[in-house]
Amino acid sequence: MSLGAVLSRNRAIVTSFAIAAVLFLVGTIHSLDFAGVNQIRTMLVYASFIGIIGLGQTLCILTGGIDLSVPWTLTGAAVLTSVLTADGHPMGAVIALVLALAVVVGVLNGLGVAYAGVPPIIMTLGMNGALQGLLLVYTDGGISSNPPDALTSFVTGQALGVPTIVWIWLVVIVLGWALLSLTTLGRRLYAIGTNRRAAQLAGVRVRRTLVVPYVVSAIGAAGTGLLLMGFTDQAFLSMGDPYLFSSAVAVAVGGASILGGSGNYIGTVGGALVLTLVASLLPLFSLGTAWLSIAYGLILLVTVYAASLNLSRRRAVAES
Amino acid sequence: MSVSGAPVQTVRERPAKALAARLRSVSLATSMPYVYVVVLGFVIYLLSPEIINGPGAVDVRFSAAVPLAFVAFGQTLAMFTRGIDLAVGGLISTVTAILATTAADSWGTLVLLLVALVALGAVAGLINGVAIALTGLQPFIVTLATWSIWGGVALLILPQEGGAAPVDLTTLVLGNIVGIPKSVWIFVVLFALWLWLRDTRLVGDLRAIGSDEARARLIGVPIRRRKVQCYMLSGIFAALAGIWIAGQTGSGAPNAGDPFILSSVAAVVIGGTSIFGGTGSAAASIAGALAFLMIPDLISAVELSSFWSVFFQGALLIVAVTASSIAMQLRARRSGS
Repeated sequence: MSLGAVLSRNRAIVTSFAIAAVLFLVGTIHSLDFAGVNQIRTMLVYASFIGIIGLGQTLCILTGGIDLSVPWTLTGAAVLTSVLTADGHPMGAVIALVLALAVVVGVLNGLGVAYAGVPPIIMTLGMNGALQGLLLVYTDGGISSNPPDALTSFVTGQALGVPTIVWIWLVVIVLGWALLSLTTLGRRLYAIGTNRRAAQLAGVRVRRTLVVPYVVSAIGAAGTGLLLMGFTDQAFLSMGDPYLFSSAVAVAVGGASILGGSGNYIGTVGGALVLTLVASLLPLFSLGTAWLSIAYGLILLVTVYAASLNLSRRRAVAES
Repeated sequence: MSVSGAPVQTVRERPAKALAARLRSVSLATSMPYVYVVVLGFVIYLLSPEIINGPGAVDVRFSAAVPLAFVAFGQTLAMFTRGIDLAVGGLISTVTAILATTAADSWGTLVLLLVALVALGAVAGLINGVAIALTGLQPFIVTLATWSIWGGVALLILPQEGGAAPVDLTTLVLGNIVGIPKSVWIFVVLFALWLWLRDTRLVGDLRAIGSDEARARLIGVPIRRRKVQCYMLSGIFAALAGIWIAGQTGSGAPNAGDPFILSSVAAVVIGGTSIFGGTGSAAASIAGALAFLMIPDLISAVELSSFWSVFFQGALLIVAVTASSIAMQLRARRSGS
């Protein structure tokens, strides 16, 4: 395959990385510090948080769904871990418990969506509310314990000059790419997203397969909760809020179609970089979090619209 | 299935037989929320009577329920078309933020301000509707984006909770008219509005779009126009909710609207409106809103921590939506076989 063919086949991925490169250039022109090693390290760490959650969100969106329960799954994992380890429970057991609970959350979401036929947006919206309630009850509305030192020092560590978190993200990237491109499961997810009925007729066990994205998403959100808590050395009850928009927008920037069936995790990786760069650029122009929220919304609208144009063009080509 | 777009006889002309047929056609799902309200009210009264018959108790509760009744009304219309309006979260916040930072010294300026805010709601809805109708994008993704945008605008206007809403607005919202609280009047008006609206061509068309968009197009429903109108109405209702909240609390908050996304969807689902479009009732959604807001009272009546109500409200949405979805699938299977 020629380079041109590879580029045009992966247009969305190329676009998302190109936008990231342009944004990086803009930042560097504005201030040379923007391209400083420490600054790049920090940006990569923040991109990792979005990126790790983004894998599950990519799978959900690929199959025509979305996971809105990310914020309180993330917060729940962090808060539970900090409270339980502060009570003297061993950290390994606590983390295992937290990840197991995340699987339960994901399975419940998946069962609701796949077996009961509940629209994903409503199922995960309700789950987010229920988790919020449970955590408020558990913490009585406030939290004072600190994250375990072992976790903090592990998360803030570096190897070969690259932060541990970024290494973890690299592993997730390889796994995510392999899952979607090399495994049967990945192909089944695409098939379900493109045409659920056709996938069923082709012998895909649609319901069972459809649970997977929600489980991956819950594990990703919980894992990110642990990393984020370790990195910022605190757990608090609204820590997950920004990740609802950022994960969904990262997937959209990466070119996954919200109508399902097309998209790739590598695109989401580019999307996570774009969002992190936007978040780092806005303060340079004295624009605060309010503008970030506006920017996310606008980016989401534009990219989703562009993707839908792209999809209808490809359909037109396929039909002619 | 209810009558959609069929010619409507006036009540006086309708013979008793037709009335009986109409009563039979009232769906079980949309009658349940009224049952929930009565049963919950009764249980709460048995457990802790002062919540129901304490001084001003009913007044306070109706007043607190008005914003959700507004939003649920608009959300019902969106869900008739199989859509959803998440933007209400950001829009309500923006409206309270504007009210909390704008001075209105005279009644004249206040009225102008309120008219402008309702127009803002209409414009916000217009943007959603046009984006959904023209691009064919899914409503949830368009309104997720505009939720984020309006949330940002609210944060820009009012960086943190507080500010001061015009005093006259509070006077406008609180108090009685002919001895009945204004909040109760709002409910009466909303029910009357629905009784009128449900037989209009607009609602008939929205239902038709929700049950089968392709067929609706074939029978000549102006799909784009109807979708735009539907989201405009939802935006107007969100603005009204924001106005009521600002008047009631005397302040604003940049995230005042966020809880209304879950609660409005829950009110609609409890109200028996199908999540798969086509059937339902805005009046039942309002009853659903009342039932949803009785959960905190029930929690305090059984003396649990108030945080439990957050859990039960989310859990209730899951249970209600799962039940309705499974019921729908069973019905489809039965009619299919």
